[in-house]
Amino acid sequence: MARITVDGVEYEVQDGRTVLQALDDLGVLMNGVDVPHYCWHPKLSIDGSCRLCQVEIEGFPKLQIACNTPVKDGMVVRTDTERVRKAREGVMELLLVNHPLDCPICDKAGECKLQDYAYDYGVPHARTREPRRALKKRADLGPTIVLDQERCILCRRCVRFCREIPKTGELAVFNRGDHSELDVYEGYPLDNDYSMNVADICPVGALTTKDFRFKIRVWFLEDAPGVCTGCANGCNVYLGVANNKVYRYVPRRNDAVNDTWLCDEGRLSYKRIGAPDRLKQVAVRGPKGALVPARRADAVAAAADGLRRVLEAHGAGAVAGVASAHACNEDLFVLRRLLGAIGAEGVVAVPTGRFDDLLIKPEKAANGTGARALGFGDARALVERLRRGELRALLVLGHDLLAPGLLADAGELARLEQVVLLDTHHSPLERAAHVVFPARHAAEREGTLTNHAGRVQRVAPAVEPPFEAYCEGEILAALGAALGLPGFDGRFDARAVARELGREVPAFAGLDVDSVGPHGAPLGSGGGEPEPRRPQAPPEALQRA
Amino acid sequence: MQSIPYVTGYLTEHCGDDAFRTFDGYVARGGYEAAREALRARKPEEIVELVKNAGLQGRGGAGFSTGLKWSFMPAGGEKPKYLVCNADESEPGSFKDRLLLERAPHQMLEGILIAGFATGAEKTFVYVRGEYQEPARTLQAAIDEAYARGALGPDVLGTGFRHDVVVQRGAGAYICGEETGLLESLEGKKGQPRKKPPFPAQYGAFGMPTTVNNVETFSHVPHILRRGVDWFRSIGTDKSPGTTLFGVSGHVGRPGLYELPLGTPLDEIVFRHAGGVRDGKRVKGVIPGGMSMPILPADQLDVRMANEFLRERKTMLGTGGVMVMDEDTCMVRVGCVITYFFRDESCGQCTQCREGTGWLHKVFQRIERGEGRDEDLAILEDVAAKMEGQTICAFADAAAWPVQGLLRHFRSDFEIHLRERKCPFERSFEL
Amino acid sequence: MVSAAAREAGALRPETVAAIEREMAKYPRKRGALLPALHLAQAEEGWLSPAKIAAVAELFDLRPIEVREVVSFYNMFHDRPQGRHEVCVCTNLPCSLRGARDLLRALESHLGIEAGETTPDGRVTLRHEECLGACAWAPMMRVDGGYHEDLDVERAKKIVDGLE
Repeated sequence: MARITVDGVEYEVQDGRTVLQALDDLGVLMNGVDVPHYCWHPKLSIDGSCRLCQVEIEGFPKLQIACNTPVKDGMVVRTDTERVRKAREGVMELLLVNHPLDCPICDKAGECKLQDYAYDYGVPHARTREPRRALKKRADLGPTIVLDQERCILCRRCVRFCREIPKTGELAVFNRGDHSELDVYEGYPLDNDYSMNVADICPVGALTTKDFRFKIRVWFLEDAPGVCTGCANGCNVYLGVANNKVYRYVPRRNDAVNDTWLCDEGRLSYKRIGAPDRLKQVAVRGPKGALVPARRADAVAAAADGLRRVLEAHGAGAVAGVASAHACNEDLFVLRRLLGAIGAEGVVAVPTGRFDDLLIKPEKAANGTGARALGFGDARALVERLRRGELRALLVLGHDLLAPGLLADAGELARLEQVVLLDTHHSPLERAAHVVFPARHAAEREGTLTNHAGRVQRVAPAVEPPFEAYCEGEILAALGAALGLPGFDGRFDARAVARELGREVPAFAGLDVDSVGPHGAPLGSGGGEPEPRRPQAPPEALQRA
Repeated sequence: MQSIPYVTGYLTEHCGDDAFRTFDGYVARGGYEAAREALRARKPEEIVELVKNAGLQGRGGAGFSTGLKWSFMPAGGEKPKYLVCNADESEPGSFKDRLLLERAPHQMLEGILIAGFATGAEKTFVYVRGEYQEPARTLQAAIDEAYARGALGPDVLGTGFRHDVVVQRGAGAYICGEETGLLESLEGKKGQPRKKPPFPAQYGAFGMPTTVNNVETFSHVPHILRRGVDWFRSIGTDKSPGTTLFGVSGHVGRPGLYELPLGTPLDEIVFRHAGGVRDGKRVKGVIPGGMSMPILPADQLDVRMANEFLRERKTMLGTGGVMVMDEDTCMVRVGCVITYFFRDESCGQCTQCREGTGWLHKVFQRIERGEGRDEDLAILEDVAAKMEGQTICAFADAAAWPVQGLLRHFRSDFEIHLRERKCPFERSFEL
Repeated sequence: MVSAAAREAGALRPETVAAIEREMAKYPRKRGALLPALHLAQAEEGWLSPAKIAAVAELFDLRPIEVREVVSFYNMFHDRPQGRHEVCVCTNLPCSLRGARDLLRALESHLGIEAGETTPDGRVTLRHEECLGACAWAPMMRVDGGYHEDLDVERAKKIVDGLE
């Protein structure tokens, strides 16, 4: 460890870290200690070219870049002197010499580091009267990203990102001097699973996403913290919300889960929230065989009746529950209790797909691990039992029973006497359902999810669905009460349920929506850790950007 | 014009003789003796000390103590060590390394051998600027001869020391003359200088400990070994011993190379040796050390050509490229040429350099066209000041200094352009 | 080392590939031979086409973009077809002081093209260049790798006319 002093305050930092890394490890960078920067990024190799992070360090006659200066015990750093102020002004003024006056039409306005730092550290007016360079304004780099070369400040974060993270290297800086141009190579578009991250790390509006282009001004968006539910990684996100609508996901830093990244598919999965195929009303299959809208209480009663008839005629063995890996721990715990009270089996169906060694996990739902931790077994065994004719009623959450390797189609459920379905979106499974309840998306409710590594993370309501939708747990609690099961009073409270869960399944002890904190906590840990900053060496610069 | 120096010294006295380029011709004049003796009878540390005590300053432009630089190489260790010979000579006004490569290649190779032995380097990469095709061919022929005659390879001059030399040609980029820009180019990348730390002695060519020296620097080494420290220090000044090759160009009667002791007064070089200003004109200004170095006005040419004196006049020796400008020369046009060069050659990494070189050039052009504004001179001063001392390498300083020099000594040229809204120097060289 | 596909496509001649491989052997990491390789590849047709860049990239286990960005950095590498001969007039300070720019303009008008362009018959590409290390013999030009120094306009025109 080393003791360094920054602006008069002493800190203890790890050896082998640079000044900027140390400040970031401490959580004070741009959060108490101002060292504005462009080219440096905590998760990429060190570049050292923007020159904005210059600081005064005792013993060095010249200003030093904080991003490339290793800490030494006893180092004294000042970020607030006149020399530093003038150096920042110099960099800001020179960056604005060629930067186009695009703010009125640029998506980045409002979250642009050039705007922010020009305002905080720059000179008040421009002295340059020279014509600016003219380059490509709307270059289509690939399926997801648009490039405006004129806006580029040549920090090269995007170049380093593509080379070091997905390791696809589609971007480069061509030529030299003030003729430098960021671009792809013709015939090799920017096309990788993480391409949209370049728009996050671009400090200006040079790289923007096609998806968000011209949609809304960021100052109208509220950033609601949440979790992506596209796969079992549970990448942390901010949901960009305005007008009760989610406009985008952007990554939220969590060094224990996703660093500062998000895969493109997960990033775009916000579209599922407001998708037109959301289930929007409670329904019961009528006498003519069609699903008709019903009041919730009536549907619950109908579902309870149907289940009770099967239980009385054929026993608990003929009933089973299928958990969804999209539901929260709390919902799944209520389902477990309900099935337990009935004496019926519970399984979970988890859809799988491709994966990589970065963020993308094979399970394409956020809570498969939670379901298994709560005792739900493999759904394949249940499908066998179904095909042998052993089942008469199913309580199904989600439609992943239709995933490859499980049911061939909804017709396989045709002979069942009672199928109660709780789901967020329409699916072919509805054809076989007798009662259907619309469920809330993770972005519409409180709860916890357990990612692939056993980290329990919370979600909170960012939007309110403009139609009927319920937490699964709420419906299941009502169902339990309607069935007259012991311990079911018809109410569902996420915190209370989490506490019960913690008592019954020790790994979950101390892990409710409050105590897991904004960055989650592992199963068995008993509570939220402080923000998990992981001092890691950044990737080796694989070559100069 | 004569291609060999008008005034020779220990470096160039045999350059007029074609045989000096050959192995036998070189050996006949005592060549490779110093290397043989050093490799046989001395220890590497001794040689480093000796060169340090001799006070040899690097001749590539920075003037750093050569012996001190050699001492930065780690002793022993598993990693291979390399020398790099910087033959990228691209500083405008400089053409001395070209001569040494074309006419005294073995002298440089002998210096490389001694340096290799002193620093523990087993291989030298000679990075020759791409446009020097002939010199590169001449050098390669000398290297091939040296291998054939046992002066390079696994058993140098029968001493058991191994050393290899590889020549790589650049491809046209001034910034590849910067030490770490060269290393990047040598490794097959864009020649963008590296941030420091780490320094080349720790992490150099291909990640290995490396020392980079200039062609002329290596060329002095055999003479220092052969004739000793005292002899070397008897030439030149206390702080700047030895000779250097001054390259004189511009409006002089005898442009060419002059090997003279460091500390020779500039006016002696220009007027006594190089024939003074041609066509009977008066001198207006002289750039003393290659185009990166600030210009000196006519009344400051008494300065002695060594860093300790030039620094007092806010300029430096650089590569000794002396460019003479006569009384008709428009200094704003000179500035246009200079700022165009730096704008074109900036590698583009650092904000101040990339944007500053562009801005400086655009302002100079505007002033020359007669579209200058009163605030432009302050802008030039300020932009140059904002470029200094804050970048990955010294290119931005090299781009800023000449502008500061021109404003310092020839402000009136600028002011006339602003007042008359045109360039009034009708007899000046054309842009 | 080079794929059958690249060899078949004929993007690089076998002797060029062999020369490149000889260069690679001189370096601890083969990428060190990239600039020599690009000189060799360019020598075939006077410029580096996308096919040549792809072939070189494959030899070095690099992505084409990595080779392309290196090509773009250096003055001597060309990414578009050049004339059969290149005539490069130095226009830096010492040469300009002695009339280099007048010389360049004279050649421009003599050839009927501007610096940076190629004559319509593909014979000559005219360029201006930075200091070539011949300051005492200004003005001067580099023609196809050889220097012509101490020029005057007439001599320069004669040299250019003599190029086939």
